[in-house]
Amino acid sequence: MKAIECFRNHKEEMVRLWTEAVFKTYPLETTGFLRTKKDPFGNPVADMTQEAASALYDAIIGESVDIEATRKALDRFIKLRAVQKFTPSQGLGVFSLMKPLLRKHVLPELLAPRKLSEYLEVESRLDSLTLLAFDMYVKDREIVAESRITEIRNQYAQLARWAQKLNAASPLAVDGQQT
Amino acid sequence: MAKLPTPQTLVSSRPAFPDKAWLDIKPEFAPGSYCYPAKKETMELLHMPNPHDWDPAAEDWNLPENWEKILCDAFEERLEKHRSLKLFMDICVRCGACADKCHFFLGTNDPKNMPVLRAELLRSLYRRDHAMLGKILGKKVGARSWDKDVVKELFYYAYQCTECRRCSLFCPYGIDTAEITAIVRELLHEVGLGTHWIMDPVKNCSFTGNHLGIQPHSFKEIVEMLADDCETVTGIRPKTPFNEKGHEILFITPSGDVFADPGIYTFMGYLLLFHELDLDYTFSTYASEGGNFGSFTTFNMAKKLNAKMYAEAERLGVKWILGGECGHMWRVINQYMGTYNGPAPSNMETPVSPYTGTVFKNAASTKMVHIAEFTADLIHHNKLKLDPSRNDHIITTFHDSCNPARAMGLLDEPRYVLKAVCNNFVEMPENTIREQTFCCGAGSGLNTEEIMELRMRSGMPRGNALRYVQQKYGVNHMACVCAIDRATLPPLANYWAPGVTVSGLHELVANALVMKGEAKRTMDLRQEDLPNVAEDDDDAAQAQGEGQ
Repeated sequence: MKAIECFRNHKEEMVRLWTEAVFKTYPLETTGFLRTKKDPFGNPVADMTQEAASALYDAIIGESVDIEATRKALDRFIKLRAVQKFTPSQGLGVFSLMKPLLRKHVLPELLAPRKLSEYLEVESRLDSLTLLAFDMYVKDREIVAESRITEIRNQYAQLARWAQKLNAASPLAVDGQQT
Repeated sequence: MAKLPTPQTLVSSRPAFPDKAWLDIKPEFAPGSYCYPAKKETMELLHMPNPHDWDPAAEDWNLPENWEKILCDAFEERLEKHRSLKLFMDICVRCGACADKCHFFLGTNDPKNMPVLRAELLRSLYRRDHAMLGKILGKKVGARSWDKDVVKELFYYAYQCTECRRCSLFCPYGIDTAEITAIVRELLHEVGLGTHWIMDPVKNCSFTGNHLGIQPHSFKEIVEMLADDCETVTGIRPKTPFNEKGHEILFITPSGDVFADPGIYTFMGYLLLFHELDLDYTFSTYASEGGNFGSFTTFNMAKKLNAKMYAEAERLGVKWILGGECGHMWRVINQYMGTYNGPAPSNMETPVSPYTGTVFKNAASTKMVHIAEFTADLIHHNKLKLDPSRNDHIITTFHDSCNPARAMGLLDEPRYVLKAVCNNFVEMPENTIREQTFCCGAGSGLNTEEIMELRMRSGMPRGNALRYVQQKYGVNHMACVCAIDRATLPPLANYWAPGVTVSGLHELVANALVMKGEAKRTMDLRQEDLPNVAEDDDDAAQAQGEGQ
């Protein structure tokens, strides 16, 4: 059996296990809700996590190599983790939770047929995706920081414009130098 | 030597089973999740009780010495005053119907953000002193005592509720969690705990009439500047009547529409519409604020700030008040104003549209009409000449602002107007609109920049629904009828659905409005080129040049 087929066979299980591992980063009292309610708008955190889980798995096993499609599928999930109350390592560290799951459930089946190198490629791709996610995460944090600045500016936009107008009309303004 | 932690250790933020019950887990005041405190001087100026300096991130909040007695007495007083509060404390059966309806819960997954448990924070204190079983059995039946950590917890969660009332919609008993939040905030104000973002506008409103504290002459000059902008776009300079007696209508709108981007374009929309109608109206520089941050403080403060509306209507001798696009302003008007400051002055009458003769019987008591109703009625009677194709570059959706939707049932009028001025309209998913609308995540005085991170997670359910229609139907615009939305939805959209712009309803109305004697429109109110205008038109090219 080819390594890819082994990975494919495990997809459903791995996606479920990783999703549950992510859910466990939230308080115990609310993981039941995340697990059970299926509604992309009534339970968006679960929907985002499941979308990311499936895309992540397909990308690391080499099933989906389109980086833009992967980025798009991970986008909501990373945006979510970037603004929830996590440290950056907790926010993105969930990607690393895939490795112990792979090692426990998939690796044993690939050792005997000497498919270790194929397995290691998958782990390497996981590392690449974590780095990709890191870039996205930092960009999202920058958007939040920029939004704070833009908002301050917008709140007083007309007032500032009016003040500048007054200043420009002031007899103390010389050669365009505003006082 | 300490071992390097594994990724699993770093990521897992909790043990498999928590070692404490949910009620005993205390919130952590991390930057980005709490609002800055109100200044002592502000609280003193407003004669708020126990003003003092404090820092939410500090261990000691410098509460007054007898803080517990103050809070217990204040709570008891409110239980006597508000029968609804006592009822809400008693009748909840913790069925959980509200639990997953809160946008804060969906965004944070914090159990205490389930409306039922957020209310339980207060209910547990109620049980100790006011419920027989709680008095006898104490903790066994969920009663608990006040302590300083409880005060902190109440503050943390009372400012993680936008009083949007989505949860109330699903409560079989009709418990209004927003009113519980309002009471908790009132209690906290008794011991001097308020937020800067709310109390500063309250102070400004108290002294000068609007949130930024802009004095009458400046307010008028800024409005005139916007009228100049209207002229640049349409060739017509709308009139800007201020404090004039003897008109039929007083127009009041949130001041955010005068000072803040992109609210100003909605304001320009009002100016152009009123000019085209030759509406017999005036602005007031005293009632220059429709918003009422007092309603996020205490009922008494809300009453005080609301009083200027009728006071000005009486002084200026108007027959009725037309109100702009605002959220909580309409909740205050529709649900509280009659009790606060009613009945309306004797010079006021049940509003009648001067153009269609429509009697706004729904406003017979308050004498205030929402501009979306007013405009929808005009369009219905074919009183406006509209060219919706000017908005053809827009595929818009509509965000129901919580208060107009749930506190006054304004659901169809804005949609009717929007569909008349835009050819491309798409609804967001059913369980995210109309009565079930998701909050922008920053209402009730939480629209401050220091909690931008919190706003991005509390607004996530709205952002998520917007993103869905953006990707599925190419939606690139979201209209709304609330000034706070106009300020808070742009960063939310930029985060969750980048590329979607946000505007008020009347910005789009004015873009589509064909005015008598107007110059050829080549720009929208934002002075951005209208893509559907023929380029080879000389007039258009000239007007465009002037605009730049």
